[in-house]
Amino acid sequence: MAKHPPQLRKSTLLTASGTNTSTRWGFLKDIRKNPWLYVMLIPVLLYFTIFHYYPMYGALIAFKEFSPRLGIMGSPWVGWEHFESFFNGIYFWRVIKNTLMISFYELLFGFPAPIILALLLNEVRKTAFKRTVQTLTYMPHFISLVVVCGIIKEFTMSDGLINDLLAFFGWERVSLLLESEYFRTIFVSSGIWQNIGWGTIIYLAALAGIDQEQYEAAKIDGANRWKQMLHVTLPGIISTIIILFILEIGKLMNVGGEKIILLYNPSTYETADVISSYVYRLGLQEFNYSFSSAVGLFNSAINFTLVISANWLSRKMNNTSLW
Amino acid sequence: MERRLLANECFLRRLKVGVSAVLLTSLILSGCSQGNGNKLEGKQGDNGKGASEEIGSTYPLNTTETISSWEVLDSNAVTFHADLADTPFGKALAKATGVNVKYIHPNEQQSKEQFNLMIASDELLDTVEYDWTGHSAGSYPGGPEKAISDGVILELNDIIDQYAPNLKKKLAANKELDKMVKTDSGKYYVFPMIRNSSGLVFRGPMIRKDWLDDLKLPVPTTIAEWETTLKAFKDQKGAKAPLSVTYTGGNFEIRDAFIGAYHTSNSFYIDDEGKVKYGPIDPQYKDFLTLFRKWFAEGLFDKDFALTDTKALDNKILTGQTGATVHQLSGGIGRWMDAMKEQDPKFNLVGTPYPTLNNGEVPFTGQLSFIYNPGPSKAITTSAKNPELVARWLDYAYSDEGAMLLNFGIEGESYVMENGAPVYTDLIKNNEKYSLQQMVSIYSKPNGPYEADGRRNWNTLPQQDEAVKVWSQTDAKKHTLPAFLTPTAEESKELGKIVMEVSNYKEEMFVKFIVGKEPMESYDQYVAQIKKMGIDRAIEIYQSALERYNKR
Repeated sequence: MAKHPPQLRKSTLLTASGTNTSTRWGFLKDIRKNPWLYVMLIPVLLYFTIFHYYPMYGALIAFKEFSPRLGIMGSPWVGWEHFESFFNGIYFWRVIKNTLMISFYELLFGFPAPIILALLLNEVRKTAFKRTVQTLTYMPHFISLVVVCGIIKEFTMSDGLINDLLAFFGWERVSLLLESEYFRTIFVSSGIWQNIGWGTIIYLAALAGIDQEQYEAAKIDGANRWKQMLHVTLPGIISTIIILFILEIGKLMNVGGEKIILLYNPSTYETADVISSYVYRLGLQEFNYSFSSAVGLFNSAINFTLVISANWLSRKMNNTSLW
Repeated sequence: MERRLLANECFLRRLKVGVSAVLLTSLILSGCSQGNGNKLEGKQGDNGKGASEEIGSTYPLNTTETISSWEVLDSNAVTFHADLADTPFGKALAKATGVNVKYIHPNEQQSKEQFNLMIASDELLDTVEYDWTGHSAGSYPGGPEKAISDGVILELNDIIDQYAPNLKKKLAANKELDKMVKTDSGKYYVFPMIRNSSGLVFRGPMIRKDWLDDLKLPVPTTIAEWETTLKAFKDQKGAKAPLSVTYTGGNFEIRDAFIGAYHTSNSFYIDDEGKVKYGPIDPQYKDFLTLFRKWFAEGLFDKDFALTDTKALDNKILTGQTGATVHQLSGGIGRWMDAMKEQDPKFNLVGTPYPTLNNGEVPFTGQLSFIYNPGPSKAITTSAKNPELVARWLDYAYSDEGAMLLNFGIEGESYVMENGAPVYTDLIKNNEKYSLQQMVSIYSKPNGPYEADGRRNWNTLPQQDEAVKVWSQTDAKKHTLPAFLTPTAEESKELGKIVMEVSNYKEEMFVKFIVGKEPMESYDQYVAQIKKMGIDRAIEIYQSALERYNKR
């Protein structure tokens, strides 16, 4: 390795322009200076190449009639056929609408929840209490999704806990998961319960990074707790919030199909059926890989556009962006 | 609980496997093919020369070759051995046939995925035990004709003719079976599992007899009697869900019970004139929906309908919330009776006849399997170096001696002959540690390519034998669409698309009609929508396939 830089330098000097030479030279110098950092980077690069970039060519099957026997290259081309059958299906608008609605509710209620919890925790002065709350709120994150959904099902059954409560107040017992109008509420609220604690971690870290002198300065200026939060704490974590928000926007069309599939049933398809569950039911269960990939590709294209525009918007508005 | 969770985990895992298969197809494929391929290559390389030797036609065969077989290992056997070759049965089979077999056992829960990967990787084993009909989800798309023309499996006509005299005899003796195991163009493609005619019925409606006795009610036969009975269960026995049936993954396990009372079915069926029909758009299907809608509203039919999975049903039956259901012989009656043996000795489940509208009517339809069971049937692949040897090895199972081994196991060890009939020994029957199901799984092959013996009986309760008798009395044979129709490749594709869309829509509306989310008045619109989706074309395809089938 030690021999390479001088040789390279010669060749770059001959061909490249001045600025290019200096950055490349700088890069090589950096490798020399911190070789282990680069070695540690290799697995990450490999991971992305092997698991994220290499498989992309498999997306080709969205335009083919994929048959496992013929393989990806050997399967015949069918053009936009799978896309057309998705767009023309009678459920196309319903799944799009459901996906967006659930994402929207998750963004509206689920996204601020950990921020609020983090801000509240930040105000707690008793360490023991703070730790307990944190641990308790983290816990659901580590429970398997299948178990979580099992619990949700038990609770919402016509003789479950929630119905016991409702019945106590004189309401009629209903099997909540059979009622399409409650599905989004159940889905989103259980999602908050699952993720609120985990979500606070990153905000608490950001909160810890705020300079304590700012609080002191604010105090001297006569700011109370509320004003301190508004003018010191929030501005301190706003860039974290925005970056996470952009990432969330990128997932707008990606409602996790697994949880939906574990909770829905035909009587709630109307509000519960999202792109991924629809694809699972129609595509994967029938081993219709091409159809599934066509929908997946369509989905990714939209998500890609969304991230780009959210990032652009954020850069325009307050100079915070992913890139 | 734990088992249920495991099952769900498996479902999730399957889902993930499916999703990643789409995303990472290329990667998995190349990775797996290399892994498997090397192993196999090594095995076959050693034995390539043996093919020219004379292996003879008497068992044990004169060979040193090893063949490879892809088959699911019985879920009971898995708890004892990871490889069929290590079980007492596997050893006995190797000794009797003189053939050493290298088994590859796919995970039972993921056999579909693993089958697809094997096909895709092009590293086939000599013989593959799988559903090749193309009918069930996950079986070879396009069916046997396609599998043969794709060069995956061998056409077996000559092979059976020359090397499988025992199977050939059985096919010649049973025209009905012969029709089922060949394609429209007369090609054989598997060594089939032949069910015994007494093992074709194993599922139907069942009810708590002890409750009936307490209430002094007869076993219900008509819809009206059922209604009275369920009401009594609700009011006098405190059953919260008098009738409950599992509904998982879009499958309402009531199948055709209750629906059949209205002379229709929950899917495609053959009417009295021999015409294919789609039950869920029949006018009389509306009557069934109306009935269940009423029962649901009155609390006679499970209020948590569509959310009741196996675990929930177990719970309802065992805690006395449910007094009637539609389920299986051993998975239902056997399992629940067993579970309640000590807790409530009076607990008694009996099979009831399929409900009818009028007294004394023969039920229109019911569960009836075919004597050809496609799942545990073996095809010989194009990778087989020595098809003759594979065929001879497979044919052993159809010989008299082989049939005894596959059905009952090892004489003197797992069974003895008493008055000319095989009887399980205490090792199997009265084993202190293990159940009969577990023991037969390692001493014989519960499912596989051979003819199941009518003398083999795994029922442990008289109620089970009785239930089979009751459930058998239907016109199912006349009205069930044979499972071995073979639409052409072009038709298959069209059919698949229509059926997928229709059943998806039908299932959603079905649940909505019953739970009262959709007014009954929209039934006509619902029928119109299904027609719009092309159901008539699907019926047409089935009709012509049925005619070709009948002409075979």
